[in-house]
Amino acid sequence: MTFFVIITLNFFIPRLMPGDPFIFLSSSEGQITTTYSEEQIAKYKAYYGLDKPMVVQYTSYITNLLKGNIGYSIYYNNSVINIIGKRMLWTVSIVLAAILVSCLIGTVLGSLSAWYRDGVFDKVLYSFIIAISEIPAFIIGIVFLFILAAKLGLFPLSGGMKTFANYSCFADHITDILHHAFLPVLTLSIARLGEFYLLSRNSMVSVLTKDYMRTARAKGLRNRRIIFRHALKNAMLPIVTRIFLSLGSVFGGAILVENVFNYPGVGHLMREAVMVRDYVLIQGIFLFVAVTVLTMNLLADIIYRRLDPRVS
Amino acid sequence: MFKRILNTVMAIVLVTTLGLTGCSNSKPSESKSENTNKPVVISLEGGDWGYPTPFSHYSRGPGVFKMNLIFDSLLERGEKGYIPWLADKWDISKDGLIYTFTLKENVKWQDGKPMTAEDIKFSFEYFAKHPPVSNDLMVDNKSFIQSVEAVDAKTVRFKVEQPLAILLGKIGNTRIIPKHIWEKVEDPQKFNTPEAVIGTGPYVLKDYNKEQGAYKFEAFKDFWGPKQKVDTLQFVPVSDSVLAFDKGEIDLTGSITTDILSKYQNDKEYKVMQNPAFWGYRLIFNMDTRTELKDKEIRQAFAYAIDKNELVEKVARKAAVPGNAGYLPVGHIWYNSNAKNYEFNIEKAKQLLKGNKLSFKLLTGNSNDELRIAELLKISLAKAGIEISITSADTKTRDAAIKKGNYEIVLNGHGGWGGDADLLRTAFVKEKTSNQSPSADGIPGYSNDQLNELCKQQLYEMDPAKRKDLVFKIQELIAEEIPQIPLYNTTGYIVFKPAKFDGWKYMFDHHEVTHNKLSYLDVKQ
Repeated sequence: MTFFVIITLNFFIPRLMPGDPFIFLSSSEGQITTTYSEEQIAKYKAYYGLDKPMVVQYTSYITNLLKGNIGYSIYYNNSVINIIGKRMLWTVSIVLAAILVSCLIGTVLGSLSAWYRDGVFDKVLYSFIIAISEIPAFIIGIVFLFILAAKLGLFPLSGGMKTFANYSCFADHITDILHHAFLPVLTLSIARLGEFYLLSRNSMVSVLTKDYMRTARAKGLRNRRIIFRHALKNAMLPIVTRIFLSLGSVFGGAILVENVFNYPGVGHLMREAVMVRDYVLIQGIFLFVAVTVLTMNLLADIIYRRLDPRVS
Repeated sequence: MFKRILNTVMAIVLVTTLGLTGCSNSKPSESKSENTNKPVVISLEGGDWGYPTPFSHYSRGPGVFKMNLIFDSLLERGEKGYIPWLADKWDISKDGLIYTFTLKENVKWQDGKPMTAEDIKFSFEYFAKHPPVSNDLMVDNKSFIQSVEAVDAKTVRFKVEQPLAILLGKIGNTRIIPKHIWEKVEDPQKFNTPEAVIGTGPYVLKDYNKEQGAYKFEAFKDFWGPKQKVDTLQFVPVSDSVLAFDKGEIDLTGSITTDILSKYQNDKEYKVMQNPAFWGYRLIFNMDTRTELKDKEIRQAFAYAIDKNELVEKVARKAAVPGNAGYLPVGHIWYNSNAKNYEFNIEKAKQLLKGNKLSFKLLTGNSNDELRIAELLKISLAKAGIEISITSADTKTRDAAIKKGNYEIVLNGHGGWGGDADLLRTAFVKEKTSNQSPSADGIPGYSNDQLNELCKQQLYEMDPAKRKDLVFKIQELIAEEIPQIPLYNTTGYIVFKPAKFDGWKYMFDHHEVTHNKLSYLDVKQ
């Protein structure tokens, strides 16, 4: 049901935006465009079935979708599944890597912060992380781009891999991709860090006051063992849920970051698709995002159930 | 659980580090090319502009010029005007209805087959059935070609519907595609196999990566024409053009702002060139929604109350020229410097308004420059007693509003100002549309008999000298009537290192050297 509502909205919202995929009357500064003649526009509209009434278009969209056909992009002249498929891997990898990194670091820092609650360490770390997580991701990205990539030359300026390179061995290929992905992942991770830090800190603080923590301490266990084994295990639940739930918003962040680094992912594509009113592609991308987020929510449910025996 | 995750991560990190050191001796072969015999490799700012066939490059942006590297046309756009290309000579009959082209000999397709007059005939007939993205074969939404005939292997004859002055350029600019490949293609938009990018042009497409936005072209060994000065031409993804240029990732940048210009101008290693003013902003009046704009004096009051020099200075940072009231910008081959010029003069504007207070809605796009222009216009027009309220929208929304006439005054920016002077007709005369210039829809609610007549005359005038006189007259009339106001035309800067490559040239009607095929060829003009 949710899914049906989503695809219906996916269909209508782009079409209700003012604008038309075939009218190009202006261009950004210094750029050029080809303006189509009326006859061309009519021809293209017929070709893509956009001349038919909305209801007919909608029915044929649903029927095609049921057949597994998500359409042919108006602007990119390629099938949507092809276009998204080729870029999906790039986005999914940086998004997952960023979640993993920010979750690991955030949780460790959050746990430590909770352990040393109200101490100097906690106070400094807390203010620092709050400060950096308030900076929008694309600004962090631009700063990295200018300092680490342009000034110091440590990382490539853009793209997902070297263009036209022939790799002599597979490891080189992997290294190159990791090298290119480093800054986007770092940027996204920093942007998400605060969320995981705060969550794990709060969660830990409440766990640490529980009776069994006193027992653990009384047993004379080492601090590290207490924090990471006894406390964290119990504080993990909200964090795990958050990992899956944050996926949607990390995708959102990825759009901006991909644009800063010219990274060949879906986010970069989505901006273009909206700009040129490529209805079919916009639908495809949102469908992909919706499916991913819904799947993740489902996964979160399943995992939550396994982690916490109280939930049935 | 946590420990397990940590261990996995550590393992991954370890493996990749090992992999890194495992073959650190072998670098990607990219750097090899520098040592061997020094072929000229030029890298330029990339971005995905579509697969370079006449049907699948994107309508926005420079995709069409990448396609042009592969596909030749009968004529080519030189620095002064059209030059012979696939056609060696041409002849136009006295009545202007028959065009005969004599083709160059020994022209080969990139797959080795010879090109003949049949291919030319086929291309025009194919485009009539399946219009390409950039379609020159229409005037006012109508196809102008009656028939194409391959007289013999190297002669092609076109019969046209009407004797129009602009047809040579249109026929000459149409791409020629190989019959033996395309005759089997039913749906050209979906045809994107390697066969689809075989032309007769100087460059062969070697690599195209849609996601990265990268193209690699190599010189075609059996090219019929001038020798290629660039052996490999590649378009690579770039996040910031100037950073990439400074780091040597690209060999030319066109994103130099006035603030950093001096750094390059004072350094002998670099060469700076200023582009011709063929991209510009204009203010269009909608006289259907606001009939008081039919009054010439009100329009003139606008023209006097707008400080174009201020816009050039503050918004374009001097990288522009003030708009010409006669529409064709300075630098256009038929620019008339005698057309009326409206000096900034608030007093005159007030006199023309006769104390009336007016208020209008101004629609703009949402780029920084457009918003700045709008704000400055608002301030200076207010001084003359014209109140402006600004609405900004994203480009597509604005474009749709223009198309529907859903605005009072609109600010619009586009290229193509260097094109054939017939763009005056399409920009000022209603009920005629063509794809020559973007925003070519006339001016809503405006019609002037004298202007309509002159515009029609220049279209049918086959004698270039007489036609030029007419176009000069039109500009003077337009400047006096001022049905829309050109604000300024940008003249951006390009920077490159001449020691590496110094072949950059402009086409007579276009503002970008990298778009010009002739930049990469050894052409004497």
